[in-house]
Amino acid sequence: MRRLRLPASPVEDSGHARAFALAAFGVACLAIALYGQSYLVPPVAFAIAVAGHRFSYAWRRRKRSRLMQAALAGLMFLTLAYFVFDSVLGIFGANLPQANLVMLLVAVTSFDLTTRRNLYSSLWMTLALVYLAAVFAWDLQFGVFVVLWVACLLGFWAASNLRRLGSPGFELPRRPVALALAAGLVVGGGLFWLLPQPSASPSGPLVISLPSNLQFGGLEQPAVPLVQFATDPSGKSDNVDLRFRGRLGDQIVMYVRTGAPAYWRGLTFDRYRNGSWVVSQPAAFRFRTFHAYVDSHELGSTAVGPQLGDFVQTVRIVRSIPGVIYAAAPVESLYYPAAEVREDQFGDFYAPAPHKAGTTYSVVSHLPDYRPASLRVLTPELPDPVDGTYKDAGNLSLRARQLARSYLDGFDPLSERYDAVIALAKHLQADYRYTLATPPAPAGVDPVDYFLFDAKYGYCEMFATAAALMLRSQGIPTRLVTGYDPGEYSSTLDQTIVRERDAHAWIEVFFPGHGWVPVDPTPGFSALAATRFPDRWAASGLAHLIPHLSLGAPAAALTGLGAFALLPGLLGLVAILAFGLLWLSRRRPPLRARSPGEAELIRVYDRLQRRLGRRRAPPQTPNEYRRAAAGGELDSLLEEVTEAVNRGVYSDRWPGPAEVAELRSRLS
Amino acid sequence: MRPAWRLLGALALGAVVYFYGATSEVAWLFLFGFLVWCAAAAMFLYARWNARGLTGGLRLLDVIPSPLSPISEIPERDFRDAPLPAPVFEGDVARLELRLDSADGRARGPARFTAAVGEIALEAGTGLVPPGGWSAVRELGPVARGPLAAQRLAIESSDPLGVFRTRRVLPEEGLALALPLFTSLTDNRHVREVESQLTVVRAGHGTDLYGVREFRSGDALRRIHWRTSARRGQLVVREFEPPGLRVLALLLDPAPASPAVADQLARLAASEAWDCYRAGGRVLAWSPGLEPLAPWQARSVWAVLEWLARWPQLPAEESEVPRAMDAIAFTDRPDGPAVQALRQLQDRGAAARAWLVGSEPDLDGVPFTRAGLGWPLPE
Repeated sequence: MRRLRLPASPVEDSGHARAFALAAFGVACLAIALYGQSYLVPPVAFAIAVAGHRFSYAWRRRKRSRLMQAALAGLMFLTLAYFVFDSVLGIFGANLPQANLVMLLVAVTSFDLTTRRNLYSSLWMTLALVYLAAVFAWDLQFGVFVVLWVACLLGFWAASNLRRLGSPGFELPRRPVALALAAGLVVGGGLFWLLPQPSASPSGPLVISLPSNLQFGGLEQPAVPLVQFATDPSGKSDNVDLRFRGRLGDQIVMYVRTGAPAYWRGLTFDRYRNGSWVVSQPAAFRFRTFHAYVDSHELGSTAVGPQLGDFVQTVRIVRSIPGVIYAAAPVESLYYPAAEVREDQFGDFYAPAPHKAGTTYSVVSHLPDYRPASLRVLTPELPDPVDGTYKDAGNLSLRARQLARSYLDGFDPLSERYDAVIALAKHLQADYRYTLATPPAPAGVDPVDYFLFDAKYGYCEMFATAAALMLRSQGIPTRLVTGYDPGEYSSTLDQTIVRERDAHAWIEVFFPGHGWVPVDPTPGFSALAATRFPDRWAASGLAHLIPHLSLGAPAAALTGLGAFALLPGLLGLVAILAFGLLWLSRRRPPLRARSPGEAELIRVYDRLQRRLGRRRAPPQTPNEYRRAAAGGELDSLLEEVTEAVNRGVYSDRWPGPAEVAELRSRLS
Repeated sequence: MRPAWRLLGALALGAVVYFYGATSEVAWLFLFGFLVWCAAAAMFLYARWNARGLTGGLRLLDVIPSPLSPISEIPERDFRDAPLPAPVFEGDVARLELRLDSADGRARGPARFTAAVGEIALEAGTGLVPPGGWSAVRELGPVARGPLAAQRLAIESSDPLGVFRTRRVLPEEGLALALPLFTSLTDNRHVREVESQLTVVRAGHGTDLYGVREFRSGDALRRIHWRTSARRGQLVVREFEPPGLRVLALLLDPAPASPAVADQLARLAASEAWDCYRAGGRVLAWSPGLEPLAPWQARSVWAVLEWLARWPQLPAEESEVPRAMDAIAFTDRPDGPAVQALRQLQDRGAAARAWLVGSEPDLDGVPFTRAGLGWPLPE
């Protein structure tokens, strides 16, 4: 069997191609610096790469000495050593150590870029850097980096192609090339904006940065929902008190890049007492501890009931918040950059320390089938939990229990659980008003009763608490969940912006055969708070079929662009103008070949003969005349004029006016 | 037009990043994929447009004479009907212009022009073909005697990225004819240039009929050839050779032993012809079984040089030995057909001699001069 061998790659002689490869690296370094907030390694690596590229170009045809090869190998090992030390010990801050590793490797190998294949390898490494920066990029401006990097790649291809054709420089017809590339840019950008972005089944959470050495030590539940004032500087708390409401401003808490808008679940509470939700004692101490990368094998099967698929979320924390790992439930696998993460018995995950600004983690979640037809089918194989905590309505008043019974609209809570739960949720949404300006319940008055019968308005915790207790009173297992609602979703960038005001509370109801199903009884939200898998391949392609996302998604995306909202229209206009001009130019009659310099050149030739003091005899050819008249100070001019005359006379290729003017000026 | 491997790379790259975008929810990867695919699509349109608007050609621009070139021996007057732009002699360096033009006056590119002249490949490429055209000069030489033809001409064009490539083959072109070297073989430098200038074809002079030509003012009416005039519908007169005009017949073998021998025989024949022309004579060239020099070309030194340049690669044609009072055979064999033809003319009373190249035995009964393969001939 013949061994398959790649054909030999030619030595890359094109300086322009190397310049484009270096420029691509520069773009990647700048992207990492800006979006990864790494300000030391990128400029250093780029400076080294500049020197390396110059060296590689100068030495491209020389054999590398053993000393040089040893030096390069040593530098690569040094780079690996840096990576190990920074990853394990964090001696350089442990900020994107793997990105720094790639940048330093590109810089070191830039001293050995001989062939075109070497340059391709360097380019693909810079592509990995751009990908890494893209994971961290949360604004539309990053598109500029994508365009710049693609431009560098196209420039590299162009330079190597010109070299293949034997062109000495890097010259191309500007107008047609610019038109072609502009058309590609406009159409490509338009496709990106207009076409639905598919979601394939993720292969796993993204390993964005290496885990730090943070471990659990003495922190039991380092979590606090934003609906509660922090009880100490670290934000640590373990209950939801209905008498308090946290600050809900417009500050951005996190960005979530997601395949499906979902509720970002943070904490779960199962016991209500005296106006406050807590975690019951048995549940409070049931934890599992994992390493940074938690795969599905370690977690076990978290999917209960019919599923629609999986989707990945990448969360970037913008400001420091307690270390609750917010994610869509149920979680299939996750990656968090810490030595350990912990999971409680509710399936909530915690980090060993509060999140720092810039912390980025990734989660793969299941997408259960929470459609009504599916939820109406209750499977007896998975019965209600035996733990009576979930049915403990506490000291819910009789009046409230009677109200709950009436809200079920006659549905049997056991056999018609879905209809019963939705009926109750809809009643709450219809009969009560949402407002954040809710004064606390008077002393001695149960907050739930005060909400249901006196105030009749409140915020999400009120609605969720009331719904949970009322459902519990009817024998339906329910628990309270806090976290964030989906936030402000951008269908273009496939991300949501989660702000303080998106902090939210909802309930989870147990459906036999489906597990804990999130339900949102707060007005302004869909009762069934679960996500549906967005049909990204819909023919309209302009909206995600999310229950609470209207078909005005394109318009919403447009307004979400801010000043960039003008961009799609402008791009469309430019495209129309460009194609219109192209069409018009094709309709124009073809240019007739002209010889504008003919008469002028003959005049110049006559003047030259007068200057030389010798006229060309009629039978004499221009070349004969040149040989006869040679020997004067105008030899070079005479030669050029003779060549131009010969070309015009014998080939009908007369020079242009500019060339003739230059000859005339030299004669003057 | 065919796609290059680079297209597969671009499509694969776009597909890979698109897949990663779908599995990782990094939306920018979709933009990346779309940009790469759309760039490839734009390059397809560009490559088609570029290929359709390009033309090109190859021509002889100039000649750098070799030190042995006889160009300086030729009077300027004789260059009136010389090949353009300049006569090419064997051993010269030909400067060729490879040219690319835009058919509609718009800048185009990139493109490359390739050709082969003999065994030598020529190519020149550029990224930009301006509206006025683009050219590159290549030197070729020293050239050997014979036709200088450009083969395998092709214009290769592509889009700027090299994703789609087109190769258009052009028909073969004749560039020039490399003439054999020659020099004067006579010690007698009395060149009858004045007489040769006066050797204008005049009707009524001499006794040997040369041909007919159209009637010109001043011609004697009795020289009008009425039969031919009636046939042609215009007045023609008989043309006679002036007295004392030497007519030399060059007889060459059709199959010399080697190209080097052929070159040397051609040089010798050209030299003899040159001497004859300088003395005001005419030359007939003939090779048994090959197309002879046309009688009306007998007065043109360039015509006989071109005939000698092509010999022995001439079309086959059976013809009689030309009648002349002077004949010289050029051969490398004492028993070759040229010598046999020479003996025929000798039997008819012509002054006959021969040039014998090589070390073959002497010719019997015919004065001959032996020569080697070196040029110039030793003193």
